Amino acid sequence: MNEATKRNLLKALWIVFVYIILTMFAFIYLSPFIRSFVASFMTWEQASKYPPEWIPHPFTIENYLKLFRLELFPRWIMNSALYAGLIVAGNIIFSSMAGYAFARLEFPGRDALFSALLALLMIPIFVTLVPNYIIIYKLGLIDNIIGLALLSLANVSSIFLMRQYFLSLPQEVFDAARLDGCGPIKAFFYIALPLAKPALGAVAVYQFLGAWNAFLGPLVFLRSPENFTLPVGLSFAFQRSMWTEYTPIIAGSLVAAAPTIILFIGLNKYLIRGIVIQAGKG
Amino acid sequence: MARVLLKNVVKKFGNVVAVNHVNLEVKDREFMILLGPSGCGKSTTLRLIAGLETPDEGEIWIGDRLINDIDPTKRNVAMVFQSYALYPHMTVYQNIEFPLKMSRVPKNERRRRVIEAARFLGIEDLLNRYPKQLSGGQQQRVALARAIVREPEVFLLDEPLSNLDAKLRVKMRFELRHLLHDELKVTTIYVTHDQVEAMTMADRIAVMNQGRIMQIGTPVEVFEKPANMFVAGFIGVPPMNFFYGSLVSRGKELVLDTGGLEINIPNSYTKSLQEYVGREIVMGIRPQEITIHTEPIEYAYPGKIIGYEPLGTELYIHFTIDEKTDYVAVVKQRLAINLGQQIYWRPSPSKLYFFDKKTGNAIY
Repeated sequence: MNEATKRNLLKALWIVFVYIILTMFAFIYLSPFIRSFVASFMTWEQASKYPPEWIPHPFTIENYLKLFRLELFPRWIMNSALYAGLIVAGNIIFSSMAGYAFARLEFPGRDALFSALLALLMIPIFVTLVPNYIIIYKLGLIDNIIGLALLSLANVSSIFLMRQYFLSLPQEVFDAARLDGCGPIKAFFYIALPLAKPALGAVAVYQFLGAWNAFLGPLVFLRSPENFTLPVGLSFAFQRSMWTEYTPIIAGSLVAAAPTIILFIGLNKYLIRGIVIQAGKG
Repeated sequence: MARVLLKNVVKKFGNVVAVNHVNLEVKDREFMILLGPSGCGKSTTLRLIAGLETPDEGEIWIGDRLINDIDPTKRNVAMVFQSYALYPHMTVYQNIEFPLKMSRVPKNERRRRVIEAARFLGIEDLLNRYPKQLSGGQQQRVALARAIVREPEVFLLDEPLSNLDAKLRVKMRFELRHLLHDELKVTTIYVTHDQVEAMTMADRIAVMNQGRIMQIGTPVEVFEKPANMFVAGFIGVPPMNFFYGSLVSRGKELVLDTGGLEINIPNSYTKSLQEYVGREIVMGIRPQEITIHTEPIEYAYPGKIIGYEPLGTELYIHFTIDEKTDYVAVVKQRLAINLGQQIYWRPSPSKLYFFDKKTGNAIY
């Protein structure tokens, strides 16, 4: 065996080794998902066995059928879509405006205000849950998707992401716009916003994922089953007084996850770019 | 068309005085160049005229309007930026159209003027492209088209050629001046740090340093009669040589005593230098005004070669007289010289400059 083939062999072995490690990690990360997928075709009896079994026997689609037999299932999907839609729209509108103001306008107290806003990131949501509840209650919007969405129409991390993005745009373009006749508002609509499409895409995807999967907020603020979002509805439907029937919930979660998975596959470019923007200059 | 007038304009950023009591008059249709090293306040001056910065003191006039408090849009100035600042999400057409759209020019009129401007700059084939699909030179034409389409009274250009490669820069230098000065006949204020651009393009040059205007004059004036050491050293390639020393009287003659060498000063300068006898002065000689000799001749002084740069048509010879300071001579003839060799350098007697060492001001 000469030197070159020896080196090629070592290289091949190394690649095999790396792939084995990566596959193992991928399997570890994927295993809950795989487990859910398999379990969704099992009976509750089999799914709750210990040690866990991996092949559905008997194979059943009863869990999915149960789901579609639920009268409110389409309603919950609509509610989730409405909730996520409102939040995405709100974040795109308000976070882009706030981010623009923090990045491009000069007003007294701007930096102090921005620091205060960032400090909000440190506050756990459980701290604000009760005050928020009281506010929404006084507004008469408890048990109302719109009332719940109101709480999340703007978001610190979205504002931060938009601000970073606007800061990364060249100053000279805004100077040129100013000379061409744009005040701050026209510059926002004609220049800043069209240039911010990648950042807006990232905000939309993040907020959609967060809203679609949200559990705690909807659980606390919504009361009537017909107003539930999908995650809350599912746990409501299959929670018995002493135990929870998990297999239909798992099936429901997989159905619920479908849009987010599709969204992720389609838009992961934007997600990654969003992270890159936030990691940019501060 | 308009005259631009700056009266005692001051602009500070925190503790830094970027523009320090600048007085400048740019005549109607004049091509004025603000020249200076980076950080000298020339771009800030331009931005003050554009309205992108507000002056802390002083007055800025365009024509007979005091524009200190007038919005940039209403000043009727157009600016071309160093990076061209094209709108990346708009086509060339939309870029050029944008200022007209913002000032609510009717659509047909807009179309006519965009096409006219594009044709004028030879970019009518590019109207449907996006800026990133254009070369640097094309982008610059679009930036110019966007500026001229507004038919402004004053054109402001901030280092417009510095992003182009050397060859294109020389070509655009000529074109730009022709376009703005000869064709459009617009008052133009042009910022650059490149003295060759300034010399070749300007009607007049305002040389700036540390926020102040050092001298305003035609290219010939600032080259031949620099007002101070800064201008003398900044304009001309390679820079002027400065010999520091004290002015001493030897009978009827004056000499510059550099400490190791006494340089004779021709009689023609005696009158203007009379009051400086016994004081520290600086003598300036342009590298082109020094001849290099291998044998001693009259009025030539010994020096030692410390380096040379052949440029093809000419040769830069670096020499020293005190083992410390590097002086340069530019010679056209081919000389057989070696490092460390003793040579004799002879200043051209009619091309000497003298400066007051204390103030740096020229003595004429």
